[in-house]
Amino acid sequence: MTDDLPEDLRTPLRAYRFMATVVGLLLVVLCLVGLPLHYGYLVSDAAWLAQGSGEGYEAGEFISEYLGVAHGWLYMIFLFCAFWLSRRADWDIPFTAVTLVCGTVPLLSFWAEHRATERVRTEVHESLPA
Amino acid sequence: MLAVLAPRYWGAHLLALVLMAAAAGLGWWQYDSYQARRAAEAVDLTQAEPLALTSVMGPDEPYPGDRVGQPVTVEGTWVPTGTVLVSGREHEGEDGFWLVTPLAVGGAEDPALPVVLGWTADPDAAPAPPQGTGEVIGWLQPTDGTGETDTDRTDDVIPQVRTADLIQHVEQDLYGAYAVLDHDRSPVVPGADALEPADLEQLPPPAGGTGLRNLLYALEWVVFGGFAGFVWWRYVRDVTRAGRDEGAEQESASGPPVPSGT
Repeated sequence: MTDDLPEDLRTPLRAYRFMATVVGLLLVVLCLVGLPLHYGYLVSDAAWLAQGSGEGYEAGEFISEYLGVAHGWLYMIFLFCAFWLSRRADWDIPFTAVTLVCGTVPLLSFWAEHRATERVRTEVHESLPA
Repeated sequence: MLAVLAPRYWGAHLLALVLMAAAAGLGWWQYDSYQARRAAEAVDLTQAEPLALTSVMGPDEPYPGDRVGQPVTVEGTWVPTGTVLVSGREHEGEDGFWLVTPLAVGGAEDPALPVVLGWTADPDAAPAPPQGTGEVIGWLQPTDGTGETDTDRTDDVIPQVRTADLIQHVEQDLYGAYAVLDHDRSPVVPGADALEPADLEQLPPPAGGTGLRNLLYALEWVVFGGFAGFVWWRYVRDVTRAGRDEGAEQESASGPPVPSGT
């Protein structure tokens, strides 16, 4: 739960977790679905992947055209949220850097989000009087 | 203070520089491909299949705005007496002239379309204009003037391809357009091979959405570079402040990082 966190951490943590989830999901769709469909014709002769005409190719093109651009801008918002949280939670630079960079790696972004959330909670509980 | 210039912070400054330079470079690359895509689409239209002039526009119709650079085929009768030179035309950086001969669409008295046969540096070396009937393939261009007027109406040199100037040199009506001869695709026009192919003045405007993705990515890299700069600025501020605090109250006991405020 995030409800027992102090106010000045709760809001950035919520924003960060929301953006990390959105960006992480988009990244999975983009990299693990969109790109293989878009560039599948390079490794396969299947008609549905054919460049310019295949249904799979067109779906992949749509994903990389629209979701690609959307992901780029959402990643910017994610960066701001993550940076905001890192300042509030007093993260050291290596931890901050790993958290920001892992937002760009499909699937790994979920692990980074989990790791960052755990750290915020643990440190708050350690600092609070028992 | 100058504490931020200490060697142990050089890595951070270097990283900030590298990130901002990378963002600028990537942004430029995307902006470049955005422009390349638009240019490529403009060229694509000029390589389209030629249409008959009569199906693109009539002699009394205004220039169809979406047909700038459209390849057209025109059949008719040359009007060699209407031949003019258009001054101030550049080709590969060199100043020269266009040789323009009207082609009456149909019989000799019918409305004519001025045809740019080609470019030459030396007007005295221009070949004799074509005569009789002819057929050309060329790119259609609007005869929008730039406002420059013909200062000497007695000679056969005009400053731009403009109907109001050209009309002085022919007996019939003129189309509100002209064609630039496509030397590669057109049937042979006598004399034209003595000229350099003329460059198109106006390329078709690309569709609105062309390369939008690249433009958005370019903007995004600018934002990213700005973000890297912002983070670096905050970092420098922290370092400067920490240095000042240390000077004021010596070294405070360092424990595990504690979130501020409760």
